[in-house]
Parts: sequence; structure tokens; C-alpha cells
Amino acid sequence: MIEIDIKLGKANFLLDARFKIPAFGVTGIFGPSGSGKTSLLRVIAGLETTAQGRVSVKGREYLKADRALAAHQRRVGFVFQDARLFPHLDVEENLLFGRRRLRKPIIINRLEEFYELLGVTSLLSRDISGLSGGEQQRIALGRALLAEPDILLMDEPLSALDQGTRKQLMSFLEELFQQLEMPVFYVSHSSEEIARLADQLVVMEGGQVKACGDIQRVLSLVDSDLAQSDSSFSVINGVVQQSVSDDVTLVRSEGGQELLLPGAAQPGDIGKQVRLRVRARDVSLCLEKPGSSSILNILPARVVEIAEQSQRGSRTVRLDIGSGAILAKVSDYSVKHLKLGQGMELYAQIKSAALLN
Amino acid sequence: MLPMTLSPDDMTAFLITLKLAAVTTCILLVISTPLAWWLATTQTRIRGLIEALIALPLVLPPTVLGFYLLLALSPDGVIGGFTGFLGLPSLAFSFWGLVLGSVIYSLPFAVQPLQNGFLNVGRSTLEASASLGASPRDRFTSIVLPLSKHAYLTAAVLCFAHTLGEFGVVLMIGGNIPGETRVLSIAIYDHVESIQYQNAHLLSASLLVFSVMILLLVYRGKRQQFSVVKA
Repeated sequence: MIEIDIKLGKANFLLDARFKIPAFGVTGIFGPSGSGKTSLLRVIAGLETTAQGRVSVKGREYLKADRALAAHQRRVGFVFQDARLFPHLDVEENLLFGRRRLRKPIIINRLEEFYELLGVTSLLSRDISGLSGGEQQRIALGRALLAEPDILLMDEPLSALDQGTRKQLMSFLEELFQQLEMPVFYVSHSSEEIARLADQLVVMEGGQVKACGDIQRVLSLVDSDLAQSDSSFSVINGVVQQSVSDDVTLVRSEGGQELLLPGAAQPGDIGKQVRLRVRARDVSLCLEKPGSSSILNILPARVVEIAEQSQRGSRTVRLDIGSGAILAKVSDYSVKHLKLGQGMELYAQIKSAALLN
Repeated sequence: MLPMTLSPDDMTAFLITLKLAAVTTCILLVISTPLAWWLATTQTRIRGLIEALIALPLVLPPTVLGFYLLLALSPDGVIGGFTGFLGLPSLAFSFWGLVLGSVIYSLPFAVQPLQNGFLNVGRSTLEASASLGASPRDRFTSIVLPLSKHAYLTAAVLCFAHTLGEFGVVLMIGGNIPGETRVLSIAIYDHVESIQYQNAHLLSASLLVFSVMILLLVYRGKRQQFSVVKA
């Protein structure tokens, strides 16, 4: 378990966060800027010396009422937004900085293989000046992992990169996280990164934790600030089936629903586990199944919950589609007009679902 | 006719000056390291006061500093009383008295470059190394020192050069004892006083060449460092 119960006072800002989360998988920490995401990571890492409360990771008490471990005594890997490589060391010396301070490396034994996986083999003897942003972040990540921490903290690691590099690194992270046994806290304000990488979610706002738990459950809470916001989205897990035509791919969700996605599947993708992100504003509702529509995915659904609060004339509705829940944004007018109510059977039109791999 | 070699007396003065500058520089680098580190990292309010005290020799006339030091070194003074109590010879009019005066006089030339160098290392780099398991002492030796290499070079050169040209403090607390406290600048002064311009010329010219050489060395080092960053 990872148990956090902390307070950190700063000039006109108070971080007051409390949550418990299993110590495995990737925990996305999501929220608008200024919501305290970075401060939370810094407190866990011991970089905020005035923090009070409790931080416990896998039974190790990093912070308790009467004592705080210094940053170097906690076994926390930190990947910063800016890579923060050491300019006087070459790439390999940077990578080995933390490992050389380990009493005995246990997890990563074959360095060559690790460098290969990281894609830095050809860079090892290079000076760090002249590395691209993506290369720097890979090295920063490798440096943190080689120190074999209890937990890996990543603070917006992709936000300083250009779009292309970002896509590349995201695929890389996704594969890496599947092999990684240590828990990861991944801070981001990008719903795409969170939906794709996180298994659990902590939603923050104004220095407080608004929700926390399994990502699909947290995302489907209709009355949460996140669900009410424009960036509200849901995640569907599925398996790639086949290419239906040159530019459409069939994906079967966990609950057996079939979804069509734009883009052709590569032969290697068939049978692959994927995640789909569905934006709430891309989901609309019909009482009867529309005969012909330009919308690819029309799924039978049941209304589970309708948000009590209306936000700028529309409400968030939670739908059961047989394999977990998705959210839809529906105008107040439509809610009244269609006489939407709990338990109602209808059809959800998903205008576009983004395949996240 | 210009003499082509230094007289034995001038040679001695030259060697004493080099020794004084070298010893002073070494002592300054050692004591300024913790002082500059403290100034670069502390949050206390008295930092401003300490910084002002360290910068004092920059504005104070050397003779004023020398005068107070002379008082302190006298048998009734703070330092003289202490050395007397320990049964040590008086520091006034001795080589080590000059070292003490030079250390105080050149302190800002060591502390300020080091403090700036340490500040340039930046908190973020230190945080990264701390999260990788480096203890405070480890961070200092493996991150701060190597990244402050140029600050150390600058501090060393400034201290050395500043001590080399020192006059007022030396005259006040060291006097002009050949083989003990007679340094170059005082020897030059003496030569001019006794209208031995050729000797004064030779000493002055060698000091000039020496200083230019040192500065060239430093600025070359600086340029190389920048070109590395740019590449």
C-alpha cells in the first residue's frame, strides 16, 4: 500500500492530500495546473522539508509525525519535467549515478539489455549537451530506474517535448510500464496520457484530492469535477480483432461489444490489448436504433446515473454498455425531452473513439 | 643601462611575494568553501550582514584595515594577546602576520566567485542527485565541486593576483624587513624612493608580464568552457 496523508503550506497555497492506493501499477495524478500535483510528488520524494503528516510506501515510513527521512534516504525515483541531467557527466555516468550509490543492485542485472530497451546504447559515451529532449528524458528515466527505487515519480515527463517525440515516448512508456513491477505515480494534465498509461487515478484540485481509485470507476463518477468539465472522458479496455477494411479496425471490448475504429490495424496488432478513450462530449443518445448513420459505433446502453448538477446547460450521464461505464454529455433540454431516467434502455452513439495505442 | 637580472635582494622579495600569494590563496580557498556554501544556501537574516562584512575590504582603504590589524596584533590586542597567551611569537612584522592580513584583505575575491558558482549549480540539479541517493556531502563532492571548477579557478586567480599587488596592508603590519616581509610592491616603492628606476622597471615589468599571462590563461579557460556549452 501507498498511504499519503500530508499537509504542506506555501504562500497562498495549501496542499492537503489524503489517499491510499495499492502499491502497483501506474497511478495517474490528474488535475489542472496549480492543483498541487507537483507539490504532492515533491512531498513524497522528500524535496519539501516543511511538509507534515504521513507518507508510507510499501511499509516504509518516509514521513511520520516525529521524523522525516531525508530525500537521499528515501528510495524514490524522480523524473522531472526538465530532465535535469548532470552536465559534467556523460550519458553513461548519468545513467549510473544512482546505481553506484546502491549497496547491491538486484532488479536490473544486465545493463546492456536495459540500455537496449531504453534505446540509449548508441548514446552512452556522448556528452549530454546536444541530446534531443526525447533522448534526455529517456536517460533521466533510465537513471531513476537504475537506482532501483521503491516507487517511480514522474512529473509531466512528456510536456516539454514536441508532438512526434511525445507519441513515441508514450508508446515506449506504455510497454515499459507493463514490464515494470514498481508502482509509478504519473502526473499529467493531459487526459490522453492519463487514459493511456494509468490503471488508477487520483484527481486533484485546489490542493486537495477529489477522487481516487480504479481509473474506470473514478472516471465514471458523474458528479465529480472532472466528469463535469469539458475534458471529461471514459476508458474502455478491449482487444484488437481484425481490419474490417483498409481504414477501419474492429475492437472487441471486455464486455463483448464490438467497436469500429478509424485506421488500419497492422498484422502484429491483432489480439493486442488496447485502451480506448471516449470523450463524454463525443457520446450522444437516441431512444431507438438509428437506421443509417455516419457514426460508426452505436451501442445498446442503459442509463445508470444522471448528474444532479447542470453545467452550462448540459449534464453528465453515466451509461452501462455491458463492459463498464462510459460518460455522455447531454443537454438539459434533451434530458427533459427524451425523459431520461435511471434504468432506461437506449442507444449510445460514439462519434469518435480514440484508440490510444 | 638596464640590469638584465634581479639583484639577490629583489629576487628574495620576488620569492616572498610568490610564497605569500600562494599560501594566502590556498588558505582562502579552504576557508571560503564552507563560508560561500553557507552563504549560497542559508535562509537566515544575518546573511546580509555577513556578506557586507566580507565585502568590506573592497571599499575600505588598505591602510585602515592594516592599522586596525596592527592594533589587534600588538601584545595588548585581541590577536596578539591570544598568540602571547599560547606562547607563540608575535605575528606583527612577520611573514605569517602578512598571510593573516592578506587573507582578510582578499576574502571577498574568494568568497564571491565561489558563492556565485555554487548558486549557478542550482537547486534542481541537487534535488535530482538527492533523489538518486546522494547524501549532502556526496552531492557537494560529486555535483557542486565539479560544476564549480571554473569558479574555483577564478577565485584562485583573483586572490593570487590581488595578494601579489598588495601594498597598504603589508606596509602597515609587515613593515619592510628584507627576507621576511619585504614584498615586491614594497621593493618597487623603495627603488623609486631611492631613484633606482632601472630596478623598479625590471620588477614592475616582470610583475606586469606575469599578471597578463595569468589573465590570458584564465580567459582562455573561460572561452573553452563556453565553447563546450555551445557545441
